[in-house]
Amino acid sequence: MNEATVDDPGGDTARVAPLVELQQVTKRYGAVVACRDVDLTLRAGEVHGVLGENGAGKSTLMKMLIGLVQPDEGRILVEGSPRSIQDPQVASALGVGMVHQHFSLVEPLTVWENVLLGETVRLDQARARRLVAEIGEHYGLQVDPDARIVDLSAGLRQRVELIKCLRRNPRIVILDEPTSVLTPAESEQLFHTLREVVAREGRAVALVSHKLAEILHASDVVTIMRQGRVVEHRPTGDATAASLARAMVGREVSLRGEAAALGALDDLDTPVAEGAQGVDQRPVMLRLSEVTLRRHGVAVLDGLSLEVRAGEVLGIAGVEGNGQRELGDLLSSLLPLDAGTVEVDGGRVRCGRAGALARAGVAVIPEDRHDSGCVLDMSVAENLVLDRSHLVARSGVIDRAALRRRALELMAEFEILAAGPDAPLRSLSGGNQQRVVLARELSHRPKVLVAAQPTRGLDVGAIEYMSARIRRAADDGIAVVLISTELEEILHLSDRIVVMSRGSVIGGMTRAEATAERLGLLLGGVAA
Amino acid sequence: MSESVAEDRRRDLITVIALYALCIGVALAASAVLVAVTGGPWRSVVSALIDGSLRKPGRWGQTLSEAAPLLIVALGAIIAGRSGLVNIGQEGQVLVGAACMALVATRGSGPLTLLVALLVGALAGAVWSAIAAVLKFGRKVPEVITTLLLVFVASQVTGYLLTRQSLLLDRDPNRPNRTQTSGQLDPETRLPVIRVFGNEFPISVVIGVLLAIGCAFVLNRMVWGFKLRMVGQNPRTAQRAGVSVVVAGSLALAVGGGLAGLTGGLMLAGGVANYRYTTGFSSNVGWEGLLVALVARNRPLVAIPIAVIFGALRTGSGFLASTGVGREIVDIVRALLVLALLAPSAFMFLRERRRASTAATSRT
Amino acid sequence: MIAWLGPIGDVLSSSTMYQSMMRFAIVLAFAAVGEWVAERAGTLNISVEGMLIGGAFTGGVVFTSTDNVMLGLIAGAAGGAVIAFVQANLSHRLITDQFVVGLTLNLLVMGLAFFLDDHLELNTSVATVWEIPLLSDFPLIGRALFGQPWPMYLIVPVVPLAWWLVFRTRWGLEVRSSGENPQAADVSGIRVNLRRRQAIVFAGLCSGLGGAVLVLGQISVSRWESGHVGLKGIVAIAAVIFGGWTLRGTLLGCLLFGYFFALQQTLPVLGYRINSQLASALPYAVALAVTAVFATRTRQPRSLAQPFVRGLT
Repeated sequence: MNEATVDDPGGDTARVAPLVELQQVTKRYGAVVACRDVDLTLRAGEVHGVLGENGAGKSTLMKMLIGLVQPDEGRILVEGSPRSIQDPQVASALGVGMVHQHFSLVEPLTVWENVLLGETVRLDQARARRLVAEIGEHYGLQVDPDARIVDLSAGLRQRVELIKCLRRNPRIVILDEPTSVLTPAESEQLFHTLREVVAREGRAVALVSHKLAEILHASDVVTIMRQGRVVEHRPTGDATAASLARAMVGREVSLRGEAAALGALDDLDTPVAEGAQGVDQRPVMLRLSEVTLRRHGVAVLDGLSLEVRAGEVLGIAGVEGNGQRELGDLLSSLLPLDAGTVEVDGGRVRCGRAGALARAGVAVIPEDRHDSGCVLDMSVAENLVLDRSHLVARSGVIDRAALRRRALELMAEFEILAAGPDAPLRSLSGGNQQRVVLARELSHRPKVLVAAQPTRGLDVGAIEYMSARIRRAADDGIAVVLISTELEEILHLSDRIVVMSRGSVIGGMTRAEATAERLGLLLGGVAA
Repeated sequence: MSESVAEDRRRDLITVIALYALCIGVALAASAVLVAVTGGPWRSVVSALIDGSLRKPGRWGQTLSEAAPLLIVALGAIIAGRSGLVNIGQEGQVLVGAACMALVATRGSGPLTLLVALLVGALAGAVWSAIAAVLKFGRKVPEVITTLLLVFVASQVTGYLLTRQSLLLDRDPNRPNRTQTSGQLDPETRLPVIRVFGNEFPISVVIGVLLAIGCAFVLNRMVWGFKLRMVGQNPRTAQRAGVSVVVAGSLALAVGGGLAGLTGGLMLAGGVANYRYTTGFSSNVGWEGLLVALVARNRPLVAIPIAVIFGALRTGSGFLASTGVGREIVDIVRALLVLALLAPSAFMFLRERRRASTAATSRT
Repeated sequence: MIAWLGPIGDVLSSSTMYQSMMRFAIVLAFAAVGEWVAERAGTLNISVEGMLIGGAFTGGVVFTSTDNVMLGLIAGAAGGAVIAFVQANLSHRLITDQFVVGLTLNLLVMGLAFFLDDHLELNTSVATVWEIPLLSDFPLIGRALFGQPWPMYLIVPVVPLAWWLVFRTRWGLEVRSSGENPQAADVSGIRVNLRRRQAIVFAGLCSGLGGAVLVLGQISVSRWESGHVGLKGIVAIAAVIFGGWTLRGTLLGCLLFGYFFALQQTLPVLGYRINSQLASALPYAVALAVTAVFATRTRQPRSLAQPFVRGLT
């Protein structure tokens, strides 16, 4: 049953009627229970933090509130009456609005067109533009209504998302992992806006996140979810980072060690005098010189230069949308260069040619493994051998036995959990799929390992494993490039850190010199 | 947990069978209604179809002869399809292949001429589909449109070849009706025929089966097939793994066109239109072969029985004249059957996908 | 070189040529405008061919039995819509591959049309020619633009209607969103597959109407045969590509292809012997060449021909 300890924080909140109540909500996907007997109450004037690691069920819960998914059991009450939220339109009519992080804006359209998406009244351009101006003014979210989304930065896009959500006048605003695309300064601004929204207008806000620091900082009450259940609920003022961490993960946690996974940035702030020794003597394994890449006339990579030596971990920090994805694609031989050079172990590589960088010894764990890291419909064994099929073949014919042997070896070494080497990759969990990609890439003894957002979407255990593996790769002499939008991850793993902004490197420092504040400035675009 | 999975599977199987039965039933019923409504005797239609394809002496051999070209075209379509490309220009590729094969075969005699001619035919088909490949990879034009447009261009261009004696038109001045046909192939330039139990069919049947087995082997057991499947299922991953989508895709299209072209040549050497190339020579073999591949869900071995069924429809339709019902009814039945056969598997595939991937994502 | 000027001059100065060109272009335009809307929604329907034939056939049948051109036109639009309905539901409700469905539907419709041709005697009409006074006397292009059989003029309201629907209504906004980013549209509360189906049915209405206009607006042929449509649906799709998925460009494409279809018909009339097969191939070869040149320059709807299912990777 529920381990929830519903504290009664005192007279005030108890008298405010709840706006939304989820009662014993359960959702199953086949044999997997995503949410089990979840109770959650959102009240007006309150920022309710929903904390849990990836896979705890927070997203599924929110999807039910917004109508993308229907609960199997339990009920949802909106302002006291039970409701069935069939789709986003119904949710909106009931006063539930969500600020999405991705997948909600249509790029070629303008701001005012996007803001109107999903409404049911007649299209009126003048009215829409007025609305954008008014709401922008009111909440401090100014943006040009005629701009096309494709031309806007991530921070501005989030403003549009907020305006789009707020113009429907929702009583309840849900924010799902909002700060992953924001600089620290922009995050502050967002939380400030949220306070306004909540305090001035008596709305309810649900802030969903896997980051401790964020929840501690921005919420009034917190509900912690673990493996689909609610495990704790208390006012944020009563909670400490340690207690939250323990509830999130279910065991005693050394914040020092797990801070990265839990998003407890503050504890990572004090630099540690660790890091690889004598790396400066090692050879440069990867060198990018003035790399430029244009897409639709815009330079997404603009004179990018960096160097990585064998045995060191170079962390490339930066808010999403500054060219990280293109950098990852470039190093995956998916994009050609417009200018500049890429050298691996001293030898120039022709980018854009299929498999060129892989052949040169560059292994990549891509940002989105489904997109370019694996083939979901092939088996685990086949995925483990994608680019080196000649290893298990004789004169062009695949040796089934050798394929299987190799798969079993790698599965044991990397602790990959699957029904068997012939199981379709689709049936594995995200963490295990990531291990398959890692196993394949590391099995070729690469010179360079590029890990792009390697722990995105993984649970704490999987994050720890990946982090350990990355560190080990560096210890084994591989030059590691870690591209991540999570500052915690960068600080935890890197020996040297550079910051990317608008397609080029704008500053760098060693781990010893790094503090959250310095990095924060760079991330905001202020050159060091 | 595993019990419920097994139970799920059993329930799925029953649903699948029921769906198929329902859809096929609807298709056949609709056809029967159509025949009845236009005043035809649908019972004798069915009888005529079975007579023409199996029952009457010598007919099942004929069915096999008709099935072979369908199978080979289907194999080509399967290879292109597995690489993720949509090639629907087989009809044109068959025509081009047959015409070019005829150009060589009518000018010589003997088994060597035959072999060279078949090769030329295959090459012609490959080149024809390569045009679409160039347009796709060079200019980003969807191949579904280019291959289709090329069909029409092919039929006109090959028709043109039949208007000039210097090209294909029969040079024999003693031909009574000056219809547009090419010269006839010499007896030595024809495919050997297998005779068994009173039925006869050219060895293209054996060639087809061998090619099907070969195709299955290549796709599932050979490195080239592995790479091809990778390109078809996730081109970006393939590119990263060193498999150039352009090279693999173009090759797949070319092979597809080549097999279709080869089919054209085999048809001519196997006796179609009395060993003469004529207008409309391809007689929908291209379209039907493509449908065989689609119904077989791009699996080479499954294509064999499907090709036989489609072949049976073709030979059966030859006996319809006596019933007074137009031959097009077979086209209609065929199209309805294809739709009927596609719907259930699409439905199940969707269900399966949704179950598997939501289970995985919710578990992250 | 000079030898070429003769024929070119003759062609350019032949008013029959322009009349013929407009007739072909208009029929193409009906199909192309409809398919343009459908492609903006993210669907690619090669069954446009079947919709044209279906419209032509139903229009012809209804006209033969009622002797009323207007009814025939309405029936044609309905006929096209029925086929579009099947395509829409198979591809965007059951998520069967839209190319396979399109191809099979074409074969089905062609089979049906040929089959029923024998059983029904279809008359085509010589619909009343509307000659606008003064304007139709304009040299060369006067009769082409202002002296057509009246069903042809129906294109004049259809084009701005399509434009208005796509750019000035909420429906159009949702259609465009579904074509560019169906995930975003879905999450914003838009019923993506519904809009796609509706866009396809719109294409069916337009193409069906076009087919009926072809049958009922003809001048020369007395007996209809379903073969007369001749792959014009595919050329309509090529016109949309040529036009870069803009309405203006699509119409230009229709004019271009109309020109080549007309060329094939008119050259013999002008007294030039040209091999009929090569002439027949010309419009399609031009369509090929044209798509080759124009496909890269343009912005195709990002989600074109990609089926959408909520929650699927």
